[in-house]
Amino acid sequence: MALIFTQRADDWLRRGMAGAFASVVLGITGIYYYAPPEYTRVGYAPKQPVAYSHELHAGRLGLSCLYCHTGVEESSVAKIPPTQTCINCHQAIKADSPQLEAIRVSWAGGSPIRWERVHQTPDYVYFNHAVHVRRGVGCVSCHGKVNEMPVVVHEKPLSMGWCLECHRHPEEHLRPPDQATNFEWQPPQGQNQRDFGLTLKDQFGIRAPETCTGCHR
Amino acid sequence: MSRDGEEMKEPPLIGGNHSFHSLTDLICGLVERRAPAWWWIALMVCSSAALTGGLMTAYVISTGIGVWGMNQTVGWAFDITNFVFWVGIGHAGTLISAILFLFRQKWRSALNRFAEAMTLFAVACAGLFVTIHLGRTWMFWYLAPAPNVNMIFPNFRSPLSWDFAAVATYATVSTLFWYYGLIPDFATLRDRATRWLPQHIYGLLALGWRGSGRHWHNYETGYLMLAGLATPLVVSVHTIVSFDFATSVIPGWHTTIFPPYFVAGAIFSGLAMVLTLILPLRVACGLKDVVTSRHLEILCKLILTTGLLMGYGYTIEAAGAWYSGNMFESYLAYNRATGPYAWCYWTMIACNVLAPQLFWFRWFRTTPFAMFLISLLVNVGMWFERFVIVVTSLHRDYLPSSWKMFYPTWVDIALLIGAFGLFSTAFLLFLRFVPMVAVSEVKAFLPQADPHAGGHGSSGDPAPLDRGPMEIVGDDLLEDEDEDTAVHGVLARYATPGELRAAAGQVRAAGYRKFDTFSPFPIHGMDHAMGLSRSRVRFFTFVGGLTGVTFAQTLQWFLSTSIYPLVTGGKPLNSAEAFVPISFETMVLYATFGTILGMLLLNRLPRLYHPLFRGRDFGRATDDGFFLAINADDPAFDPDRIVSLLDRSGALSLEAVRGE
Repeated sequence: MALIFTQRADDWLRRGMAGAFASVVLGITGIYYYAPPEYTRVGYAPKQPVAYSHELHAGRLGLSCLYCHTGVEESSVAKIPPTQTCINCHQAIKADSPQLEAIRVSWAGGSPIRWERVHQTPDYVYFNHAVHVRRGVGCVSCHGKVNEMPVVVHEKPLSMGWCLECHRHPEEHLRPPDQATNFEWQPPQGQNQRDFGLTLKDQFGIRAPETCTGCHR
Repeated sequence: MSRDGEEMKEPPLIGGNHSFHSLTDLICGLVERRAPAWWWIALMVCSSAALTGGLMTAYVISTGIGVWGMNQTVGWAFDITNFVFWVGIGHAGTLISAILFLFRQKWRSALNRFAEAMTLFAVACAGLFVTIHLGRTWMFWYLAPAPNVNMIFPNFRSPLSWDFAAVATYATVSTLFWYYGLIPDFATLRDRATRWLPQHIYGLLALGWRGSGRHWHNYETGYLMLAGLATPLVVSVHTIVSFDFATSVIPGWHTTIFPPYFVAGAIFSGLAMVLTLILPLRVACGLKDVVTSRHLEILCKLILTTGLLMGYGYTIEAAGAWYSGNMFESYLAYNRATGPYAWCYWTMIACNVLAPQLFWFRWFRTTPFAMFLISLLVNVGMWFERFVIVVTSLHRDYLPSSWKMFYPTWVDIALLIGAFGLFSTAFLLFLRFVPMVAVSEVKAFLPQADPHAGGHGSSGDPAPLDRGPMEIVGDDLLEDEDEDTAVHGVLARYATPGELRAAAGQVRAAGYRKFDTFSPFPIHGMDHAMGLSRSRVRFFTFVGGLTGVTFAQTLQWFLSTSIYPLVTGGKPLNSAEAFVPISFETMVLYATFGTILGMLLLNRLPRLYHPLFRGRDFGRATDDGFFLAINADDPAFDPDRIVSLLDRSGALSLEAVRGE
């Protein structure tokens, strides 16, 4: 009978099977590397309409976060400041700087500046800034060292698994509530973060919810 | 009882006076010949329906399941009705292929291939409904415990998780079992094909199968293992589907009768579907010799039996409602029989309990038209049974203020039609590209396949028939040493399986070890004749099963207690009992993988090329040829001795095969 497959066919079959196996492994690895927010969200640093530097204002000048992001201690959202907040200082300081042209136009015309939003939780997540800040979760825990960022970068993944890590072990991130906006805070001498955090957890009766309805209402 | 033996004998399994070759021709011809006109017409009708189903699926996924007729009270309707209906249809395929195999019901071989195909396509339809009913279909993968950034995992204490494991395992195992049975038949198609494309496609699918006795030995053990695994699996699947209902607190669902009653109903509906399909097909495809009236009669009797079980189930449901003294249960039974959906209930009773009673009469079991009609009625009745269970139980529950009616929308109905279109289109394509009867299995039930052919009970093997002198293929047999390619071995052909078996015994007795036999079907007793020890495939099955059960149990325990410790329904985090169903399903899944892997590894498959394929008539090894090959690297290999030995053993022809 005539041969259908030669010896080489088996070599090709073996190569094909190895190739298929490798593609599956590569595909799965690729999805796990490229799909999570650790890859898609971390590092997001959009160009803002005004080259506002947190590194200058919050870092070198030592402006408090709360000066601009008012309401973070009372409200579920940390507000983006209106042009008024900028003008408070910049009507006197560097009032003619070309970099501030957009601010002056906005102030004169009354139309707000369209800042690019960096951090955003999905609509189905109920996140309350006030609850976190007033129980001593510092800004730095979720936003990173903003005081060192000339351009704000999305530093943490803000994925659900990442939220849960802290909700299961809040002591790793707790600090005295009045230190919430302090980027340089360290636990007191002789105590590590864990033990100090546990004391605070007890003191404030912190029971971070781990059930679905804690965040999805 | 001094009855004459003839009268007690069962009628033959295969009608007509078929030879091995005519049977191959009959069944493979269906795939090889041009498609008949009826096939094209049927395909046109069915694929139009399937296309409707496809469009509706896209519409439902893109728009949301609000386009269905369900409401707050009736939260499950056509989606789950269709899901349970289709999963149930599938069960008959596995009953025939696995359970009846374990019971040594030889007649199953005529039906198992196409019944298993029916299983696959029915499970695909079921999968379609259960997937789109999720609403956000693209989140489907959340059903599996895949590590994800949200760190959320399925709730293993929920029957819905078990259901996913059961249906996914069932689909996978059924597909693999089906393919496993197909390997020898793909080889037959490969060797018969004359055009390049079918040769290569069937060749790849056959994995280089050549009907070796050593291969059959492992293959048969593997088949037995797979049947043994599929048997509890099929019972577990509809049991778990019934748990979706039975573990809830809805009157009409919360009953212990559900698991056996669901399994019986599944087999009942599936057998009816088998009958509906085979009655026209055996005429259209000319398979009356293979699927005889005896087969049909057995199917009718099975339908009658399971129909009686269904009647028992319905009675117990009503009796349970009365005996419980529970107001809601009693009302449910009353509402089913007299409420707004009473017509569904009585359709169900008429079709499922009353109609099969006609099978008590021989006339109904032997008249194709009557059988066809009753099988259609059972199909309709079983669909209505699923509808009654799902919708009438929900539409009036505890609070009269929330009572509501369900009316299907046009999308519901179009999807129902679409699923039938998908099922029948897939089935028509199956008929065209895959042999619809397991060729290698039915051949083994021809009278001449019995190695004792020519007188049962006679001692030893039959003497070789008078065949004239042995033919030597080619003149260069083993002698000319100056050929470039070395001799691989000697290939001898025999006329009957009995002679091949006897020859294998003689070759072994003569001291040869590196020899093999080749036959289109496994020959009874060949493993003894060849001196093969018990197949080691079973160890692969065992290791696979053990890996599966350990993996699933560890995974569920670890995820539920450490990674995702979420209390649901007040149950403990480590709910060992609740982890049993998924552990069982995973065990079956891994044991199936192990079995198939074991068969392939032990047989050194896939191996597309083999020197023996150069043998002149070797293509007949997958049709009607019986071969014996002795390898040249056998220490006892001596050409002159072999020629005389094989001549004495009754070989028809002898050929030296060259090649690496």
